[in-house]
Amino acid sequence: MLRWGAAASLGAGILSAADLIPASAAPGGAGTIRVALESDPPNMDPHRSTAAVDRQVYQNLYDKLVDTDENLRIMPMLATSWTISPDGKTYTFKLQQGVKFHDGTPFNAEAVKYNFDRMRDPKFPSTRRSELGPVIGADAVDTYTVRVTLERAYSPLMYVLTDRAGMMVSPAAAQKDGLNFALHPVGTGPFRFVEKIPQDHITLDRNPDYWVKGQPYLSRITYRTIVDDNARVASIKSGDTDIVNVPPLPQIPSLKKEAAQSGARFRVIERGPFAWQGIWLNVTKPPFDNKLLRQALNATIDRNVIANVVLQGAADPLYSFFPNGTPAYDPSWKIPPRSVALAREKLQAAGHPSGFSFTLLSTPGQQQQSIAQAVQSMASEAGIQAKIQIIEFGAFLSVLSHLQHEAGLIGWSGRPDPDFDIYPFITKSGVGSFNDAGYDNPKVDELLDAARLLQDMAQRRRAYSEATKILADDMPYLWLYCPKEYKLVVPRVRGFVDQPDGMMRFRTVRLA
Amino acid sequence: MSTVAGTLPAIGSRAPAKRGLRHLAARFARNRLALAGLFVFALVLLIAIAAPWIAPSSPIKTDFTAYLQPPGGRHLLGTDELGRDVASRIVFGSRASLEAGVVSVGLGISAGVPLGLAAGFYGDRLDNVLMRLTDAMLSIPNLILALTVVAVLGPGLNKAMIAIAAGLMPVFMRIMRAQVLSERGREYIQAARAMGAADRRIIWRHLLPNSVAPIVVQGSLNVAGAILTEATLSFLGLGTQPPTPSWGSMLNAAQQYLTQAPWLSIWPGIAIAVTVFAVNVAGDGIREIWDPRTR
Amino acid sequence: MLRFITHRLLQMVPVLFFVSVIIFTLINLIPGDAARLFLGEEASPDALVALRHQMGLDRPLPVQYARWIGGMLHGDFGHSFKDNRSVLATVAQKIPVTAELSCMALVIAWTIAIPAGVLAAWRRRTAADYAASAAALTGLSIPNFWLGIMLIYLFAVNLHWLPASGYVPPTQDLGRNLRTLIMPAFVLGIILAAVVMRQLRSSMLEVLSADFVRTANAKGLAAATVLVRHALRNAVIPVITVMGIQLGTLLGGVVITETIFSVPGMGRLAVESIYARDYPMLEGVVMFSALSVLAVNLAVDILYSVIDPRITLEGGRT
Repeated sequence: MLRWGAAASLGAGILSAADLIPASAAPGGAGTIRVALESDPPNMDPHRSTAAVDRQVYQNLYDKLVDTDENLRIMPMLATSWTISPDGKTYTFKLQQGVKFHDGTPFNAEAVKYNFDRMRDPKFPSTRRSELGPVIGADAVDTYTVRVTLERAYSPLMYVLTDRAGMMVSPAAAQKDGLNFALHPVGTGPFRFVEKIPQDHITLDRNPDYWVKGQPYLSRITYRTIVDDNARVASIKSGDTDIVNVPPLPQIPSLKKEAAQSGARFRVIERGPFAWQGIWLNVTKPPFDNKLLRQALNATIDRNVIANVVLQGAADPLYSFFPNGTPAYDPSWKIPPRSVALAREKLQAAGHPSGFSFTLLSTPGQQQQSIAQAVQSMASEAGIQAKIQIIEFGAFLSVLSHLQHEAGLIGWSGRPDPDFDIYPFITKSGVGSFNDAGYDNPKVDELLDAARLLQDMAQRRRAYSEATKILADDMPYLWLYCPKEYKLVVPRVRGFVDQPDGMMRFRTVRLA
Repeated sequence: MSTVAGTLPAIGSRAPAKRGLRHLAARFARNRLALAGLFVFALVLLIAIAAPWIAPSSPIKTDFTAYLQPPGGRHLLGTDELGRDVASRIVFGSRASLEAGVVSVGLGISAGVPLGLAAGFYGDRLDNVLMRLTDAMLSIPNLILALTVVAVLGPGLNKAMIAIAAGLMPVFMRIMRAQVLSERGREYIQAARAMGAADRRIIWRHLLPNSVAPIVVQGSLNVAGAILTEATLSFLGLGTQPPTPSWGSMLNAAQQYLTQAPWLSIWPGIAIAVTVFAVNVAGDGIREIWDPRTR
Repeated sequence: MLRFITHRLLQMVPVLFFVSVIIFTLINLIPGDAARLFLGEEASPDALVALRHQMGLDRPLPVQYARWIGGMLHGDFGHSFKDNRSVLATVAQKIPVTAELSCMALVIAWTIAIPAGVLAAWRRRTAADYAASAAALTGLSIPNFWLGIMLIYLFAVNLHWLPASGYVPPTQDLGRNLRTLIMPAFVLGIILAAVVMRQLRSSMLEVLSADFVRTANAKGLAAATVLVRHALRNAVIPVITVMGIQLGTLLGGVVITETIFSVPGMGRLAVESIYARDYPMLEGVVMFSALSVLAVNLAVDILYSVIDPRITLEGGRT
């Protein structure tokens, strides 16, 4: 799924210098890197994927039109350069020449056009359509130039193309296999698909014809799915894996301690937060259709305790959709202190002086349950009774998107473009999909629509800041914390750069 | 018939015709190990009932200044990740375990016995259909059945108990049916029928009383299994709802703190093991007096 | 013999029919829309319609059921909702893994249980008997998920003796295969060992008091010979029945063990399919689990007649 409970969150941060491991000298090395993933990647077709963990594998199987670097700047990949028309409605990409898909199909403007058509085909169950937003289509200008046309300006597009919507699949393979493309995926990436045994492993082998000469350095990647948190952490301690994705947050302090000892088998890589977590308050029905009651609940929350006690410092307290370090973050935002007195005032004003009760939905993950119980305990001091109800993830999503809940604990993994951290979650257009508060505020919609038309990040930031101010008062979403991003890595892995999005790119990695 | 049928081959078919409960109780009392098991079970039951008076503090009261405290001092068994008193949670957690054990077996019996009775008593076609149905239910691995039922009903202790009971029902159905079949041909039943006794009277006066013992024997052993299944479902986050403690959900939460706070995993683990052990021993005792072969 | 097997195979048909009805009914009672879940939050109305059609969810339930059954009769068990993978091929991939794990668990169980059961019966009411019985009960009382985690910490993390989790096919590296499976097999086996040991002890007691054993003793045969040749051989029969019955429980235990140790078998597949609402896959897993339980039970009955010629299959057991 695109959305996760904290237990499965895959956020990433932005500062990196300290975590860079310098790549050692000559290219052309070999070896197999063994990666432990926290869940089984369900679908290998990037245009149908809905699970975050899929993206881990895609990074090495597919190239994207453009990529981000460790500072979230947009970098050339399959597109060597691009121009955006002044009205923001036409994007022209120059493509890398001499690139072939793993099945030998040449990569060119026609292939890009095919990919855009595929993602927008109403008969194909694509999951990329909403990200592409106002894109009308792509046309080949010449063999290596492609023009993408939009209905209206849409500033998030470049970042969108750094993710699944920018991943190019082989037209020949996709046409031949249809829905079965996911079973033998073909991209242009540095590694090509060998096999996937569900719930067990995925193997990728070096693409000897990769268009960046000499790369990749590794001969093979094996992704192993280890669902149990303890078993996943144990796998690196016992020498069975080289990188562990998503080590559980509550274990971070003890893992750090262990990594600091001499002769430790792994290092802990930490990045600033990228994802966010909190509680949707359904504003379309009681009790949270009353703004004062939302504010009352908000006042009882001690975000520092949640980040530093419950999560033991593996997260930052949060009071906006933009964690510190992401492009839209505004340093003037402050975390409000907890105030039971203020909560009582709000309750009084709302005509519920002795408090009220509500049902808080959560998913079965252990971490989610800890957070839910912490919130419950904090709220109870002001007389607000939260009844926790755990429901399984599938049912949870369905209840929330139908707005049948009162409150639901769920977050988001974060995206490089700020638009996808706020727009679908809070605008009217997102009701029924991402907007699990049922929140509808024309003023906010207007600000966020305007931000989509602006190309300049500083200008966009002002719009986000203003929207955030309104949301901080209205409280359709109770921001709680943003988890930091961690990986465990064995010392012999060289050249690994932990990117802000937390996605592991192994093109330039080698083993000592 | 397929062997799935004889879930407990020792019971039912070979059981002697009549054995009063009092007689059984007397024999049970002579089995010291079983008695000890029963005693421990009674103790846990007592703890569960008297939890509010026994527990040193509230099982759900958090203290964010004293989290993950090792055992000793103010908190006998330490505190958990939210600063809650582990001893109190263990004490209150006994409720979920016992409830799961006793209620789900009770549900299984109350659903299985009438069906088994119907199958055995009214026989033939109904019997055939019901028996194939129990064959089918018994051939679905029990935890898969339980997880699917929980997916339908949603998580929670009550729903978990229904899920567990669904797996137990066919077992009791079979025992009851076997009992009816073995009694049905007996002379006194034939005589009662000849004298025109109503079916209901035969069932209540003769069949049910004679079936109590095998049902109790099987039930006592299933209580242990049901406690473990509840712990497993809670371990998967699908059983008891927070903040109410159950030993399984405590173990689930404790997993994240194995190196930092191992006591969080040890106490509930021991609590489950001791209780299940006691129930097993007591159940064995009951089985032995019923079926002396196993002594 | 042939008649018996044919009869039993025919009896499986209605049972499997009921299994299919039970699982189909349960799955359709699960709340939520599978198509919506698979499209995630980005479901547009057209995509939803397209996917529902592809999944076959746009047809009335009886039609869906009939198509499923009809497909199975032609060897088509459907395709995964997740990535269109064939259910049959996936299950075929998983069965050997779980079968190997279960067999190892059985071997471990018997290796522990036979000496312990024989000893307990032979030295009845001694310290050895009590110790073996108490150990068996302890094995039955420890939650297997808990035992699994403790073993990983001890043998993989602290001692580095065994891999923490995972699976390597025996064809690729037999040594590593055994090393990865030993812990999960032990966790599964310990419960079975307890069941087998207890059953063996009681049937040994019965056999030891039987006439032919007394005769053998009177003939002056060595104690060991009597125990193994005569008593054990006869005592093992009821134990096999119990094993057949325990298979359903064993496969249930596999669910947890495979999850904790990341063994890619039927148990993991079942759990993932339930969580991900991959209904065709779940249906396939349940049908095959049920089929294997029934098949093993049949095999056990056949085995009976081989071990003990006194049992005639035609007339049931004497």
